Amino acid sequence: MNTPTASRKALPFSILIVAAVIFAAPLVVALLTSLKSPSEITRVIALPNELFFQNYAIAYERMGRSFLNSIAITVPSVILSLLVGAISGYPLAYMRGAGGRIVYFFLLTGMLVPFQIVQIPLFFLIRAVGLYDTIPGMWLVHPAYSVPFCTFFMRNFFASVPRSMYEAALIDGCTPAGYFWRLLLPASGSGLAALAIIQSRAIWNDLLFAITLTTSDQAKPVTVTIAGFASSLQVEYGPLMAATLISLLPVMIAYLLFQKAFVRGLLGGAGK
Amino acid sequence: MPNFQLVRRKFQTSGITHAIFLSLPVTLFAVFYIYPIISTFNLSLHSWDGFSPTPRFVGLQNYIVLLHQPRFYHALLNNISWLIFLLLGPTGLGLLLAALLDRGMRGEAVFRVVFFLPFTIPAVAVAAIWRWMYEPTNGLLTTILQSIGLGGLAQNWLGDPSIVNFALMGSMMWWTTGFAFLVFFAGLRNIPVECIEAARIEGATPWQLFWKVSFPLLWPSTIVVLGMAAVDAMRLFDIVWAMTNGGPAYASEVLATQMYDTAFGRFEMGRASAISVYLLVIAGVIIMPYIYQLAKRVQDSEAE
Repeated sequence: MNTPTASRKALPFSILIVAAVIFAAPLVVALLTSLKSPSEITRVIALPNELFFQNYAIAYERMGRSFLNSIAITVPSVILSLLVGAISGYPLAYMRGAGGRIVYFFLLTGMLVPFQIVQIPLFFLIRAVGLYDTIPGMWLVHPAYSVPFCTFFMRNFFASVPRSMYEAALIDGCTPAGYFWRLLLPASGSGLAALAIIQSRAIWNDLLFAITLTTSDQAKPVTVTIAGFASSLQVEYGPLMAATLISLLPVMIAYLLFQKAFVRGLLGGAGK
Repeated sequence: MPNFQLVRRKFQTSGITHAIFLSLPVTLFAVFYIYPIISTFNLSLHSWDGFSPTPRFVGLQNYIVLLHQPRFYHALLNNISWLIFLLLGPTGLGLLLAALLDRGMRGEAVFRVVFFLPFTIPAVAVAAIWRWMYEPTNGLLTTILQSIGLGGLAQNWLGDPSIVNFALMGSMMWWTTGFAFLVFFAGLRNIPVECIEAARIEGATPWQLFWKVSFPLLWPSTIVVLGMAAVDAMRLFDIVWAMTNGGPAYASEVLATQMYDTAFGRFEMGRASAISVYLLVIAGVIIMPYIYQLAKRVQDSEAE
């Protein structure tokens, strides 16, 4: 009874193993490279003779500040984008009639806009209001460009909350705004958590807005630093791989911790 | 006994509350989407270096000049190849891996993490890692080919104009397959067991079971994956910019990187804006059906 099942699974299993090795290889090689001294670095498959942590020291020296900038940009931007998404999604989930639908469609069209098209006016706009090359400038820009997706996400999440809860609250004397702040938002933890992870990835990983709007060490995030690091003529792969691994760690850890919330979020409104 | 008049009044004031709430996203949208798009369109009708006090009006000249530039067509063609690749490549591989894993495999959790992990990495990190993979003399790819006696096949992966796009797509495949995989995997989990069992009792082979039962039921997941792939293909910038800067000799350029180079490298703001407008129009044509699907699903769910 067991044998046919086992043999039927053998082929898929071996395909999966091969795929997993290919998927893991670049990260493993990057990790090994980051621990090798310059003389060993060309032997790409070999293990390091001894662990060479100096690469991490060099990486930290060159990008420590921008790592902090990335945190300073990402955390407030994520919180603000969730707030805007919720404020926008709430009326759209509860409004009846064509008005809400038109606004919703209108906001959704933002998802098809390639962000490159706004870069030139955005650059001059942000410079005109004195926020060029500042971290608060990014707090404004990231939530603003997240409006379409966050609206989509939160609207769908709120739509899955039974409408009777809303009507009951109004009958019990709650104002529509009071319902949002005191009942709906506190009850939306799982949706907000999933969106927070998606937004953290998008904002932490952003290169385009950061490269247009920041330039000094005081404001530029880790992605801009690494892009500069990597495109310099003499690339030192040891420190570069160390820097790269440091830069990807926060989001990777967040995903591993909140995998379930993320999957639910992906399908959240969409899958139902 | 609730006061019905009060309640009715409250439902009416809820309209005002909703409008106040909506004014925030609508204002942000107007300032950061509508205004820059109109401004870009206006700029595309001018010639401007970004510094001189007044842009010079040139009408449609920027658009016409672009239509005579092979460099523009090359980037446009690259965007179209990327669109086709992103719709088929990561989607297909993600679906395959999800389908293979969807039978209570041993080590399922490990596979899931390994396939998904690259998706969490910033594009610049992907670029840094893959520039090292593709390093022509000591990179992993060349080293592996040499160690199995196929050193002759090794290439200057990112330096050869005829290969560079495939090399970039390889790294993109590694980066984005995890997303398609996870969406499909979750989608397969959502399919009711009874559907699968019923088909199996009818005598369906695993092949039929997948294509006739599971795949059609996966449609919501497929829409999500394809829509995101189309959006990514139009927005494609980071990977190309961080790996090749559009080179060698513009071979790997896409419209977004060309626009960026034209604007902030050559300071031809008008020309760059015209590229952006072309990009927006193409993106609109390709992605609008997807947005329409998303908005329509609202009405479906309201109808329930």
